[in-house]
Amino acid sequence: MNILVCVKQVADTEARILLTSDKKSIEIENKYNMNFFDEFAVEEAIRTKGKVKDCQISVCTYGSNKATEVLRTAIAMGADKAYLLDNNGYDIEDPIITAKILASFAKTEGFDLIFCGRQAIDDENANIGAMMAEFLNIPHVSAILKFDVVDEKKARVESEIEGGKEIQEVQLPALFTTQKGINEPRVPLITGVMKAMKAQINIIDPATLKDLSKGMIDESASKISVLTYETPSARPTVKIIDGETPEQKVKALIDILKDEAKAL
Amino acid sequence: MSKEIFVFVECKDGSIRKVSYELLSKAKEISQKSSSIVYAVIIGSNQDVLANQLKDFADKVLIVDNEKLSKYRWDTFLSVMEQIIKKYKPYVMFGPSTTTGKDIFPRLAARLNGAIISDAVDVVFDENTLKIKKPLFGGKIISWMKCKDDSTFFVTFRPNSFIVENRSLNGELIKENIDVSEDSRIVSISTEKRETKKVDLQEADFIICGGRGMKGPEHFQDLEEIADIMGGRVGASRAVVDSKWRDYDDQVGKSGKTVSPKLYVGCGVSGALHHTMGMDTSKVIVAINKDPNALIFQYADYGIIDDVFNVLPALKEELKKIKKEI
Repeated sequence: MNILVCVKQVADTEARILLTSDKKSIEIENKYNMNFFDEFAVEEAIRTKGKVKDCQISVCTYGSNKATEVLRTAIAMGADKAYLLDNNGYDIEDPIITAKILASFAKTEGFDLIFCGRQAIDDENANIGAMMAEFLNIPHVSAILKFDVVDEKKARVESEIEGGKEIQEVQLPALFTTQKGINEPRVPLITGVMKAMKAQINIIDPATLKDLSKGMIDESASKISVLTYETPSARPTVKIIDGETPEQKVKALIDILKDEAKAL
Repeated sequence: MSKEIFVFVECKDGSIRKVSYELLSKAKEISQKSSSIVYAVIIGSNQDVLANQLKDFADKVLIVDNEKLSKYRWDTFLSVMEQIIKKYKPYVMFGPSTTTGKDIFPRLAARLNGAIISDAVDVVFDENTLKIKKPLFGGKIISWMKCKDDSTFFVTFRPNSFIVENRSLNGELIKENIDVSEDSRIVSISTEKRETKKVDLQEADFIICGGRGMKGPEHFQDLEEIADIMGGRVGASRAVVDSKWRDYDDQVGKSGKTVSPKLYVGCGVSGALHHTMGMDTSKVIVAINKDPNALIFQYADYGIIDDVFNVLPALKEELKKIKKEI
């Protein structure tokens, strides 16, 4: 069984993020991680490998050379092969293009099972998984909480739906996006880290992939564009409610919420 | 180029979700400026009553009624949406950034080779362009984006982004006869719904959130009672969920849900970035914490520095009184 895990390198939650003076681009402090939800995807692939015969895990990302760091993290956790779909340092805004590139790579290599994180924590788009599945013409299930391979052609999954959970059986090949709670992602062992440092990262120019050309994946192909960036307006300083007793404070708070904030 | 604005109406447990009314209200405001009309699209089974409720909010209501659509599945809903869009060729389609919206919209955009902007919080019509506001990096940066060409444009918005306005449009009901195709590669085995009459966390106007300062799962009962008085919901910080005091479904923050209630009250919440990134778009933020240096006070509009266990009983009593006045 061939498993593909798609991962993204994202700015750390604590990273400082600034705008350039022309407000046209973003500068991110050099603190990056594997996307939070992608860790569950890598972990689920590794657990699945432990349950089925002849299984290999490939991990891929579409990003700059720096993104090889997350590929090495995935290898340190237990992935077998790593692929960087090199964007040449050029960030594409349009998720459709990213999904097309990842799907084309998946088509070229051929996979039975694809895992992605539920969404990236930087843009919170939650687009790539379902889009990739569409381009590959395979079924997808979003936000899965439990995963089991029934046989080589079928998986059984529990997923989050509006107001509850659903259990479905899905014919493979298929794509699944992982939700928090599906597993506890492992911390790589030192031997894994050593292996990852030496691992070969396959670098691919997306324009050479099946059914793709440069014109289909460059800036001119993007259907959306950024007009401008802003920094959010700062919240006014907190008003601390005074009072002798908790009761007095609460009374004063309620008055303010009613009269000033109009929140009650 | 047509300028029609389509809104995908999401239903839940036999009623229309509030977010759908929000999107219709905003769509109508935009359509008045761009001299276009608003279509509500409701897909399901036996939803005549619901379709009637939409008349006030849309110029036209497209109804697709088929027993195969009684439960949401991306494959069946997608086949319907695809045909509707191919028939009407709308300029833009709005949808909710909810579990369902996040499942269907990306796949729909990919199938129709459209343009998509997800998880937006505002839209304006300016210089003959729809400008979409979307926070990035947990709200540290705001971007304004647009669709570059004339492909079908899809935008999903967070719940609680817009105010509901009933304009009594008395729109026309149109039944669409559309074949529904199902993807046989997916078979539903069972569905389990949480038994709750409570409002969805992302749609709640009032959220009272507990942090590690709540000291244990048993103390969340106080928060539940206050949430019930206010018709709102209890949220939880990541530390609380990781300690298994509350379900992941309640988690507010970067790795949980992003919420924008009218009033957010944080109780014993320290205000770690992970948490504040999921709630700093709340309209009014109140923090209750005994530590005057807690980070949450940097985000709050109002703060009470005191032991949360001394404050909560008084808060409960006062809110009860207010609800009686109304």
